[in-house]
Amino acid sequence: MGYGSTIKVPFGPQHPALKEPANFIFDVDGDIVVGIKPRIGYNHRGMEKAFELRTYLQNVYLAERICGICSDAHATAYVQGVEELLGAEVPPRAKYIRVIVAELERLHSHSLWVGVAAHEIGFDTLFMYLWRDREAVMNLLELISGNRVHYAMNTIGGVRRDIPADLIPKIKQALDFLEERTKYYLNMVKTEQTILKRTVGVGVLPPKDAVDLCAVGPTLRASGIKNDVRADDPYAAYGEIPFNVITHDQGDVFSRMLVRVEEMLESVNMTRYALDHMPAGMIRVKVPMAVPKGEAVSRVEAPRGELIHYAKSNGTTKLERYKVRSPTLGNIPAVCKTLMGGHLADVPIILAGIDPCFSCMDRMAFVDVKTSKHWVWTTQELKRHTSK
Amino acid sequence: MTIATTVLSVLQVLIFPGTLFLLVLAFFYEWINRKFLARLQNRYGPMYTGPGGILQPFADFLKLLSKEDIMPITADTLLFSLAPVFYSALPLTAMFIVPVASQTGLISFEGDLIFVLFIFTLIVVTIFLSGWCSMTRFSVIGGVRAALQMLGYEIPMALAIVGPAIVAKSLSISGIVEWQQSNNIWNILLQPLGFAILVICLLAELGYVPFDIPEAETEIVAGWQTEYSGRKLALFRLGKDFELVFVSALLVSLFLGGPQQVWIVPSIVTFLIKTVAVVLLLTLLRAVFARFRIDQMISGMWKYLLPLAILQIILIQFGLGGLPL
Amino acid sequence: MSMVKEALRQLFKKPATLKYPYERQTVPEGFRGRPVWDMHKCIGCGMCQSVCPSGAVEMIGKGMQAEINHYVDRCVFCAQCAEICPRTAITMSKEYELAGFDRRKMLIEYKRTP
Repeated sequence: MGYGSTIKVPFGPQHPALKEPANFIFDVDGDIVVGIKPRIGYNHRGMEKAFELRTYLQNVYLAERICGICSDAHATAYVQGVEELLGAEVPPRAKYIRVIVAELERLHSHSLWVGVAAHEIGFDTLFMYLWRDREAVMNLLELISGNRVHYAMNTIGGVRRDIPADLIPKIKQALDFLEERTKYYLNMVKTEQTILKRTVGVGVLPPKDAVDLCAVGPTLRASGIKNDVRADDPYAAYGEIPFNVITHDQGDVFSRMLVRVEEMLESVNMTRYALDHMPAGMIRVKVPMAVPKGEAVSRVEAPRGELIHYAKSNGTTKLERYKVRSPTLGNIPAVCKTLMGGHLADVPIILAGIDPCFSCMDRMAFVDVKTSKHWVWTTQELKRHTSK
Repeated sequence: MTIATTVLSVLQVLIFPGTLFLLVLAFFYEWINRKFLARLQNRYGPMYTGPGGILQPFADFLKLLSKEDIMPITADTLLFSLAPVFYSALPLTAMFIVPVASQTGLISFEGDLIFVLFIFTLIVVTIFLSGWCSMTRFSVIGGVRAALQMLGYEIPMALAIVGPAIVAKSLSISGIVEWQQSNNIWNILLQPLGFAILVICLLAELGYVPFDIPEAETEIVAGWQTEYSGRKLALFRLGKDFELVFVSALLVSLFLGGPQQVWIVPSIVTFLIKTVAVVLLLTLLRAVFARFRIDQMISGMWKYLLPLAILQIILIQFGLGGLPL
Repeated sequence: MSMVKEALRQLFKKPATLKYPYERQTVPEGFRGRPVWDMHKCIGCGMCQSVCPSGAVEMIGKGMQAEINHYVDRCVFCAQCAEICPRTAITMSKEYELAGFDRRKMLIEYKRTP
C-alpha cells in the first residue's frame, strides 16, 4: 500500500450501513472518496413479469408488495392507472381516505428514515426514541386497515374499508401525540451539535445537478427545487387539501433531514384537514373484470419521491405490460455525484440521505455487460447451481 | 520476605484485589454500562441471565470462547494471535498500580503515573497492530483511525493527568490519593476543568461514542476488530471491560479521592461506589451524542481541548488548582 | 448535550419493550389474521380460489360437496377471499402466530361434516 495509491473499499451487498443489498465500490485515498462504482440488482424479483401473469384484482396485492415502507404509494399508483384505463370515477370519500392512508404512511416512512439516519451517524439513542414513537403510527394504521404494513386499503374503483366516525377521535389523539414528538425532534435536530457537525455541508447537491441528474423527492426539494407531484399534478383528493411544499436550499444531508421532518408536520395537518372535511357517500364503485385496450401513466408522490407506473392493457383480464420507475432509481446518479470528494465516514449518511429503497428499485432487467453473456436457465439448472 | 508475605502477595495479586476480583468487576461494570444505556434508551437491557441479567457479560464471554476461531489467510499469524492477549493483559497490569482496597496500589513507585501513560500508548499500539496485521481493508482503516485518534487526545490527557500530580508534588498515584485524603479534599473541586478534560480524553481512549471512530459499526463494519472471532474476540471484549474498570479507577484515584475509609464503611466499598458513579457518567455521555468524524475529532481536540488543558496547568501555577494558601 | 434531560427522564418511565411472548399486544377489531372458512355457509362457487393473489386457496370438487384447502404458508392475509365470498363464509380471525418449520404441515383442510 504505497503512498498515494488508493484502496478499494466495498460497501455491500452485506454491510451494517445498508438495510438492503446494493454494492458500491469506493476508491479511497486516505479518508477521501475519489471514485465510485454502484452495482444494483440484488433485489431483482421479476415483478414486472409477475404483473403480466395475474388478473387486475390480484395485481393490487402484488403492487403493494413491491416495497414494505411505501406499499400504499405503489398500490395507489397501480389502481389509479387501472382506473384511468377503465375510465372509472372514484367516489370523493374514497379519494379522501386514500389521502389519509397515504399521509399516515408518509409519517411512518419519514420517522423510520430519521431513526435510520441517526443510527448511521452513531446516535443510537435517537434511533430508539424515534422508532418507539413510530409505533403510534403503526398502531393507528392497524386500527384503520387491519395490518401494520401492507394496508391493502386500495382496490380498483375505491377503497375497501371505511373510516367509521368512532375511529376519528382515536386518530386525532394519535396525531396530537405525533405532532408533539415531531416538534421535539425538529428542535433537537436543529440544536444538537454532533448531528449538525455530521450533516451540515455534507453531501451537497447543487440545484443544477439535482435537476440534470433527475433527483426526486426530498433530495430534490432539499436543493431548493419546488417539485412535488401532489402539488404539480394532484391525484386523489390532494387538489382540495391545502398544504405547503417544503424546500430548503442548502442541498446537504441536514437540509434533507429538515425537509423530511417538516413534511411530517405537514402530513399531520393534512390528515387532520382530510378527517374534518371528508364527504359522506360510497367508498367504491363496481368495475368490470376485463379492461379495454389502452395505455396509462400514473404518478404518485411516494415518501421517497416521484413514483411512476405505466400500464398497457390489451382488452383481456390480464395486463399486457407493466413498468415501474421508483424514486430511488432516480436518486442513485445524484447520490453518486454527492459522494465523490467526500469522506469515507460520510458515505453511510449520504447514502441514507436519499432514503434508499432497493426493493422498490430492482425490478428492471440487467444484462451483464462485463462478460456480455446472457443465458437462460431452467428451474432444475438453477437448483443444481445453487446446491453446488 | 518471609514465606507468609510472599504467599500473601501472591494471593493479593491473583485474587483480591488482583486478577479474579478485577475479572468479576469487569463483568459487573459491563453489565452496569449496558443496563444503564438501555434504560436511557427506554428499553430493558439484559434481563434473563441471572437476576436482572447480571450474568449476561459472562455468558457472552463464554459463548465467544466456544465459537470457531477463523484467521484470514492474509493475516500475520504471530501478531494476530498475540494481539488479543496483550490487549487484555495491559489494562490488567495497569490496574495493579491503582489503589483499590487501600491507600496504595498493589505495586506503587514514584513515577507510576508516567507508567500509566505508557500503558495507554501501548494499548493503542496494540489496537493499531491488530488492525494492521489482519490485512483487510476494514481492519486497516480501523487501526489507522485508532492511531490517528490517539494523536488527538494524548496530549490533553497527559496534561490533565499531570494536574493533580503538580499539586500533590508526587508522580505516584498512591501519593496523589494520600494527598487528597490527608488534606480531606477531592481534586475535582480544585480542578474541575482538568476532570472534564480527562473524562473526554478517556472516552476517546476507551472508544465510546462520540469517539468510537476506530470501531464505527455503520461505516467500517467493526473496524480493527473485524477479522477476529471466537476466543480472540472474547479476549478483546474482556480487555475493553478491563479498560473500563481501569479508566474509572484512574478517574476516582486522581480526582475523587480514591478508596477512603469513611466512618465504618471499608475503603473497598467507597471505591466501588465512586467507580460505579464514574461508569454511569461515562454511559450517560455515551448515550447522548452522535459519532464524530476523524478529522473533526482531531481538529476539535487540538483547537479546543489542548488550549483548555494548558489553561488548567496555568491556573495551577497561579495557585488556583491547589490548596488555598 | 440537548438530549441529556430527555435521556434522564427515560429512567423513570417504563421501558417501551414488550416482553414478547410473555406480554402480547392485543390486536384491534378488524385485524386481518388467518382467514377461517365456515363450511356450513360455503356453496362451493370457487370465487375465493380464483381471486387469491398467491394461490393459497384450493377448492376440491364443486358445489355443496366442495372442500377447501388453505395453504397458510402462501397466504398474504389480504382478505380478498373474505371480501368476495357471496355468502360471507370466510372471516379473518385474530391469529397471527402462524410460523412453522415444515411447509407441508402448514396446510389447513376444511372438510364437509355430514
